[in-house]
Amino acid sequence: VSESLLDVAASLVDRAEGSEQLEAFLVHFKTNEVRVFNGEVDALSSAEPRGAGVRIVQGHRVGFAYTTDLTADGLSAVVSRARANSRFASEDEAVGLAEGWDARPPDVDGMFDPEWSSVTADERVGFALELDRATKSVDARIRTVEDAVLADSSSEVALATTTGIAGSYLASDAWCYSIAIAAEGDDTEVGFEFDLATSLRGLDVEETARRSARRALDVLGAHKIPSARMPVVFDRYTAGQFLGVIAGVLTGEAVQKGRSLFAGRLGDSVASAKLTLIDDGRIEGAPGSSPWDAEGTPSGRTEVIRSGELVSYLYDLTSARRDGRASTGNASRAGFKSGPGPAPTNLAFESTGESPDELLRRAGRALLVQDFHGVHSGVNPISGDFSVGATGMLIDGGEIVHPVKEVTIAAPMLDILARIEAVATDRRWLPFGGSLGGATTLVSEMTVAGS
Amino acid sequence: MLDETTVARVLAEAVSGGGEWAEIFVEDKVSSALRLEDSRVEDVASGTDRGAGVRVVAGERAGYAYTNLLTESSLLDAARAARAGLDSAPGTVADMRRVSGPTHPVERRPEEVDPAEKVEALHAADDAARSSGAAVRQVVCTYGDVRQRVLIASSDGIWATDDRTRVRFSVNVVAARDGVIATGQKSPGHSGGFELLEVRPAAEIAGKAAATALVMLDAESSPAGELPVVLAPGAGGVLIHEACGHGLEADTLVKEASVYANRRGERFGSESVTIVDDGTQPGAWGSFGVDDEGTIASRTVLFDHGVLVGHISDRRAARRIGAAPTSNGRRQSYAHHPIVRMSNTDLLPGPDDPDEILRSIERGIYAASFAGGEVNPATGNFVFGMNEAYMILNGELAHPIKGATLIGNGPEVLARIDAVGADFDRWEGVCGKDGQHAPVTTGMPTVLLGRMTVGGTET
Repeated sequence: VSESLLDVAASLVDRAEGSEQLEAFLVHFKTNEVRVFNGEVDALSSAEPRGAGVRIVQGHRVGFAYTTDLTADGLSAVVSRARANSRFASEDEAVGLAEGWDARPPDVDGMFDPEWSSVTADERVGFALELDRATKSVDARIRTVEDAVLADSSSEVALATTTGIAGSYLASDAWCYSIAIAAEGDDTEVGFEFDLATSLRGLDVEETARRSARRALDVLGAHKIPSARMPVVFDRYTAGQFLGVIAGVLTGEAVQKGRSLFAGRLGDSVASAKLTLIDDGRIEGAPGSSPWDAEGTPSGRTEVIRSGELVSYLYDLTSARRDGRASTGNASRAGFKSGPGPAPTNLAFESTGESPDELLRRAGRALLVQDFHGVHSGVNPISGDFSVGATGMLIDGGEIVHPVKEVTIAAPMLDILARIEAVATDRRWLPFGGSLGGATTLVSEMTVAGS
Repeated sequence: MLDETTVARVLAEAVSGGGEWAEIFVEDKVSSALRLEDSRVEDVASGTDRGAGVRVVAGERAGYAYTNLLTESSLLDAARAARAGLDSAPGTVADMRRVSGPTHPVERRPEEVDPAEKVEALHAADDAARSSGAAVRQVVCTYGDVRQRVLIASSDGIWATDDRTRVRFSVNVVAARDGVIATGQKSPGHSGGFELLEVRPAAEIAGKAAATALVMLDAESSPAGELPVVLAPGAGGVLIHEACGHGLEADTLVKEASVYANRRGERFGSESVTIVDDGTQPGAWGSFGVDDEGTIASRTVLFDHGVLVGHISDRRAARRIGAAPTSNGRRQSYAHHPIVRMSNTDLLPGPDDPDEILRSIERGIYAASFAGGEVNPATGNFVFGMNEAYMILNGELAHPIKGATLIGNGPEVLARIDAVGADFDRWEGVCGKDGQHAPVTTGMPTVLLGRMTVGGTET
C-alpha cells in the first residue's frame, strides 16, 4: 500500500481547528474499459481520477465538501468549504464521526489481485473481441452481439479522522458482459450475462459468452401462459434483483424516514421460518468486502433475518445513534464526491441446502423466471407491492416445457418472503448496487397473469 | 483554463498515431447541494471538480482517456492512452478558430449567495408543504447549483468555450391517510442563477407538490380500455421526449435500432404537429452555448407540420450518416464520452383553445404528470405510468385517478394527436442514457390524443 494517499488524508486532518472533528476520505481510482460492437473496438477508455471528500462536525452540525485538487491550496480550500458548510446544517445529536481504532481492523483476503497492474491494453482489447466473437459463434441464430464489454479497475482508499482513525486499503476488480440478440422467424430475444473477478485473468470468457447466448436462445419461441396461481422459481440473476429491492429498505435510515415496508417490524416474523438473511462485509473474494466501512467502523457480520424473524436493520453511525444502537459497519459511499450513507455490504440468504436441480424438481409445474421487466415502476418498497413483467420457462418436474414471455408476476413482497420454500446452494455475488447473493429460489405461489 | 500551446501539444500527441480527429474537453466545475428531510438540513455539500478528457476518433472507434491532474505530462499521458493501438501516419493540428454560442444570463451568481439564504429556502418549502394539510407526512427538499466552465479544442481547429450555470429546487411530499399513501413532486430548474427562487418561490413549489400529494389521496382506481387522453401542458412532453426524441438520435438511427430509421419525408402526424429540439432557448434548463463537442447550440426541426424532416446528432454519428452535427453531442463530465442527447425538446403550440379541448371530451383521462416509463426504441412501444391524473367527465375535470398507465407506440402517438392547444409549458428533467445524466426539458401545449390504450400491464 502506497503511503502517499494516507499522507494526504493525514495532512487534511492536520488542518482541523479547535474542537471540530474532521474526517478525510480519499480515493485514487484507475480504470480501463473496452467496448466491442460488430467485431470492432467501438470505444476504449482509461482514466486515473483521484480526489478527497472532507466532513467537518462541530456542535453536532456536519458539513461536507470534495475536491479533485490535491495541492496544498486545494486541500486548504476544501477544508474551509466543509467548515463553512457545517455552520448551515441543522444541529443533530445523532451526527458525529466514528471512534478511533484501538488496533487497525484486520484486512480481508481476496480484495486485491497484484496481477491487476500487469494486464496490458492488448490483453483487454483481445478479451473484449473474443467475448464478442465467442458470443456470436455459440449458435447461428445469434444475430448480433449488441455489446461486449470488458472493464477493470483498482482503487486505493484512505481514511483518517481527528478521532484516531488512519488506514488505507487496495481493491481491484474486473468484469465483463455481453448482450446477445437471438432471432428465429420474426421472434427476437435478448440475453445478458456477466462475470466478475479481481483481475481480468479470473474472468471466464467462454462461459460468459455461452451463457449470454443461451439466455437469448432459450427463450426463442416464448409465449404467454394462461393466468394462474403457481409456484415461481427465481434464477440466480432474478433472485439477486429481488434481494436488491429488499436490500434498499432494510437500512435503519430507510425505516426511520418512513421509506420501508419493514418499519416497526423488528422482532416480527417477516419471512418463512426457513429463511436467514445475513449481511457480511468480511467474506473473502466477495465484491462488497472491506476491512472497514466508509466511516471507519470495522466491517462485520449482521443477522438481519433469523429463521424468518426480523432481528436487525443495517446501520451507519447516524442512523444507529438515532435508534440507540451501534453501527453495523454498513456506511457506504459512491466515491469521494459524497458523504456516507447506509447500504448492504454482501447480503445473502443462507442456503436451505438443496442443489438447484433438486429445487427445480421439487417446484413441480412452475414458472422459472430469468428476467424481470419494469422493476422500477412495478415495485413499491414502501407499500410492498411487487408486480413486474417476466420472461422465463414453464418447467414441470425439473424439465423445461416451453419458454414464456409477456406475463406479469405479482404478490406483496412480505408474502413472497413468507412463501420462499428453498434457497439453493448455487449462490453467486451480483454487483447490483452493493453485493447481493443470488441463488436459485423457490416461491411456493405467486399470481402469474398471462393470457 | 489551459493555454493554446499546451492544448496544441496534447492534440498533436493524440493524433500522432492517425485517426480522423482528436479533441480535448477541459472542465472546471463548482457545485453546491443542500438537502432537507424530517425538517432538518441534513446535507450541506459543495464540490470542486476539475479535469480533462482526450478523445481520438479513428474510423468506427473512439479512444478516450481522462485525468483530473491538469498538468501537461498528465494530459500527454491521457492523449497517449486515448490513441493506444493506433499506428497510422500522424495527423495534423489545424489553427484554432474561437467559437462561442448564446449566453444565458445569470442575475445572482449562486456561488456568491449566502448559504443561509439557501437554507432559508429549504425551510420555507418545508413549512409551506407541512402547512398544506394534516395528512402531509414527509417532506424532502433539495437545492442544487452548479457552475461548469468548459473548453473544447479539436485537432480540426475548434476552440470553443462555454460558461454554464444551472440551479434546481426540488420538493417531494408524501401524504398518508387511512393507510393510503400518495406523493407529489415538483422540480423546477433553469440555466441561470439564484433568481430562480424569485420567479418560482420555494414555498410556491412546495405548495404545488403538497397539493398534488393531498389530492391524490382521494384517487380512485383508473379505468382500463381505449379512451381519449388529454395531456397537460408541459408534463406530457416526457412522452414526446421518450417516444419520439430518443428514436431520432442519430446513434440509434445508425444502428437501425429506431422505428424512425429510413423514414424521412414520411407524414407521422397532422399539420399541427411540429417538434423541435432547441438548445438555444434563453435560460432553459437544457440549454447551453456550445455542446460538449464545441458545436454552437442550434435549433433542429424534427417534425415539420407532421412530416419527419430531421434528427439530432453528435459529430461521430453525423459523420457516419454524412450530415453536419446538430449540437447534440453532450456528456455528463470530463469522465464521459460525448453521446447524442436531446436538449430542450418541444412540441410547439397549435391553433386550439385548451378549454375547448377539455369541453370536447365526454369521458376521458387528463394526464397531469407522468412517473416515467419504458420505451423500446426499436419498436417505439412504450408504457408510461401517470402519477397525477384525473377523469374527464362531460367536458370537465372530475375525480383524481391512480394506477393509470398509457400504453402505446411513438409513431402512433403522433398519429393520434387530434388537437394542439395554444398554451405551452415546460417540464425540467434529467435524462439517463448509457449511464450518463443530462439536464433536459420537454415542452408542449395541452394536447388531445383521440384514443389511447389506458390501463395496467396486468392480464
